Amino acid sequence: MSDWAPLWLSFQVASVATLAAGAAGVAIAYLLAKGRFRGRGLLEAIVTLPIVLPPTVLGYYLLTTLGTNSPIGQGWESLFGRPLVFTPAAAMVAASISALPFVVRTARAAIEDVDPRLEQVARVAGHPEWRVAGLVTLPMARRGLTAGIALGFARALGDFGATVMVAGNIPGRTQTMPIAVYDAVQAGDDATARAGSLLLAAVAVVVLLAVTQFSTRRA
Amino acid sequence: MGGSRRTAIALLVAVLCIVASCASAQDGDGQASADGTEITVAAASDLRPAFEELAEVFTADTGIDVTFSFGSSGLLREQVINGAPFDLYASANSEYVDAVIEAGAADPATRMHYATGRVALWSSEGIEPPTQIEDLVDPRFEHIAIANPTHAPYGVAAEQALRSAGIYDQIEDRLILGENIADTHRIAESGNAQVGIIALSLVIDDDDGEHVLIPAELHEPITQTMVVTGSGTGAEPAAEFIAIARSAEGRAIFERYGFEVPDE
Repeated sequence: MSDWAPLWLSFQVASVATLAAGAAGVAIAYLLAKGRFRGRGLLEAIVTLPIVLPPTVLGYYLLTTLGTNSPIGQGWESLFGRPLVFTPAAAMVAASISALPFVVRTARAAIEDVDPRLEQVARVAGHPEWRVAGLVTLPMARRGLTAGIALGFARALGDFGATVMVAGNIPGRTQTMPIAVYDAVQAGDDATARAGSLLLAAVAVVVLLAVTQFSTRRA
Repeated sequence: MGGSRRTAIALLVAVLCIVASCASAQDGDGQASADGTEITVAAASDLRPAFEELAEVFTADTGIDVTFSFGSSGLLREQVINGAPFDLYASANSEYVDAVIEAGAADPATRMHYATGRVALWSSEGIEPPTQIEDLVDPRFEHIAIANPTHAPYGVAAEQALRSAGIYDQIEDRLILGENIADTHRIAESGNAQVGIIALSLVIDDDDGEHVLIPAELHEPITQTMVVTGSGTGAEPAAEFIAIARSAEGRAIFERYGFEVPDE
């Protein structure tokens, strides 16, 4: 590999996406696990969509929602003076949304697994619901939360379809590792394609091993 | 144990935050074109070898670097219209350039038809190559790779040529559609299609197979056209890039890659 820019960009994009999807994902997971409100099923369906939708469809929706003719895109442009699409920021949005369902689903299962009697104890002790979450539920579910966030990171690192649509394929600016692999294949540069693929696969295996570790070891 | 784990998680979050803040800092120079040391060129995939050579000439002349984003002309057109930060759009088809101009995303005064692409039948080693397009009806060509005609000009030309030869209906269910012409070349080169209808510019140097030119009368001309899409400081060097493509040196490069170069 002669050029490390795609790898570095991929790590940056995946890091931002993990922070965003991790925070939003755990909050949504908590809401889905504990909340009893109208539209809960719909919320669940919407946050699961990125797993089921073809990445290109997701990318198309993002391009329409964030593009220069959309309210969000125009708002961004008036704030920062240039369009959001085809920037690293757009890649981060795409990666965050791709990663979100992996965080939500894993974290939700972990939160639902927490023994309700322990939460009841905290309630009886007079703690308000948000304290119960902070003192009991989330710490007890931390393995599942970490596993979900790690899965989200792996997914964010590997996103291709949605990213290439909203961020494009601009070497040095929006060309993440998966896109660099695609570009190398197109250019007939097999050495780069092979090295990049191997690297991405290795990172994925490491993350998945860590996830297994986290979810099998009991606290 | 619990403490060390908490430390580990805190450390991980800290690392993520640092990397993330680097990312947002770097985001500031996202518009590298703005400082005039670099231009970004969106170019159809058939142009990769010729444009990379042309970029060397351009950089030697001007000291300005060129970053390419290669793809199908149709995909790049959508990106240009949606505000992608390209200084120059080089399409394999002039109609796509006109669409970009119509959308107000390019400077019509800079529109330049600088080369015409040719298509060739290309088959990898190990298969008896076709001698003319009509040979494709032979069952030894189990799969035939062409670029996707809905958004790739070489795909349009391939379909037109197959129809003009009167064999489209016979081979239609054997077609494999590549995302762009480079992708189509990959499909044929990997052996997953026995033959491909490929841009001559991509196979003229390819020693791993045989190519046969398809007569130009069988399809509409593939009019390689460029237009300046940047309005900022990238506009002037982008216009210079077009001028170099039209210079004697530029024309020689295109001719070497099998393009037909229009007269002045």
